[in-house]
Amino acid sequence: MSVGYTWVQWNRHKRVYDAVMVAGAAAYIAAFVVVSRATWTADHALSDEILLLRALGSCAIVLLHLILCIGPLARLDARFLPLLYNRRHLGVMTFLIALTHGSLAVGYYHGFGVLNPLVSLLTSNTNFLSLTAFPFQVLGLGALIIMFLMAATSHDFWLRNLSASTWKRLHMLVYPAYVLLVAHVALGALQNGRGPSAWICLGLGVCLVVGLHLGGALRELRRDRGHPVVNPVEDWLDAGPAAGIPANRARTVCTRGGERIAVFRHDGKISAVTNVCAHQGGPLGEGKILDGCITCPWHGWQYRPGDGRSPPPFEEKITTYQVRIIGGRVQVNPRGLPPGTPVQPALCEESPDA
Amino acid sequence: MAIETARIILFAAGAYLTIGVVVAAVFVIAGVDSIDHAAKGSPWSFRLLISPGAAALWPVILRRWIDAARKPHR
Repeated sequence: MSVGYTWVQWNRHKRVYDAVMVAGAAAYIAAFVVVSRATWTADHALSDEILLLRALGSCAIVLLHLILCIGPLARLDARFLPLLYNRRHLGVMTFLIALTHGSLAVGYYHGFGVLNPLVSLLTSNTNFLSLTAFPFQVLGLGALIIMFLMAATSHDFWLRNLSASTWKRLHMLVYPAYVLLVAHVALGALQNGRGPSAWICLGLGVCLVVGLHLGGALRELRRDRGHPVVNPVEDWLDAGPAAGIPANRARTVCTRGGERIAVFRHDGKISAVTNVCAHQGGPLGEGKILDGCITCPWHGWQYRPGDGRSPPPFEEKITTYQVRIIGGRVQVNPRGLPPGTPVQPALCEESPDA
Repeated sequence: MAIETARIILFAAGAYLTIGVVVAAVFVIAGVDSIDHAAKGSPWSFRLLISPGAAALWPVILRRWIDAARKPHR
């Protein structure tokens, strides 16, 4: 949360996360080299440089698959939320590995001629109309440029100064980068003629990413349905029985305009705020109340349920909504109040929860 | 792609990034505090970390910096 910037907001969890990430990537690269050496022998043996290139490249695309799967996995099962917590570091590490792969590839294949290596990269193969001879390296370069922009703007400073919507749009470029990288790897595998294993692994990875995204989207759609307007004149939304909301948790309802509202139960009271965290748009309704504050499951940003303001010294504010309980059912006014507006919570009839 | 075309593209990219590096260097030393009060007194490690982004997005940075300079001091 924004008071003063530090270069990395490390804590114990993030250090453990980062250590596991680095150890996992190193283990993958080592295993790739060992297995490849055992598999490709004699006349088919690969040079150390090419082995390292492929180990780094495949490590980067495996990590990118992991990054893309974490979001929908966390949506489908809250047990994956801890993986989401530090996804930015995973993204930066993926870029650094991809950059090393790209630099080694340009140096190895284009660094020993009379031309500038980058000029050589762009001009040595111009078979753009041929599938079997397509210059797939250019696709990797395009993906690397996108990944650089994302890694370079991953700090909260950029989120705040580019505006959340611009930052989000910039970081949604991960999907075009993914498409470019899938094409880069698929065409590279096609051209090196070493069997279908890379194609099979890539196909499985693409199916996993697409399947998880579709699954997550369907779950969101189902969740957004079934919150009828209780009074056509007042337009308040029915958010279900108050007793059905677990203590210090939320139920998410969706307005007809598609906005999601998180209805929290805390200390025997009901409060409603926008489901969108002011930080990176994380789903507040999937978080919980910790130390009296709604806590975003993505990066731990906090807001008071009564007024949608972050506790001092932080200054973030989110939209709040009026709530009431009629006949034991929670009703929410879908017209959002200006961010940070205090709202009287609705009192549950039964005894206050823990 | 013709070699001359590739050279022109790379020259343009190099020129863009050279300007970016200069803007980023001045910005992280003297400008970041004026566009974001949360950056006041921030450590050098933070300033170094945002400099690649500032070099890549220097037109955005320059515009925000100029806008901040034009606003009256409160």
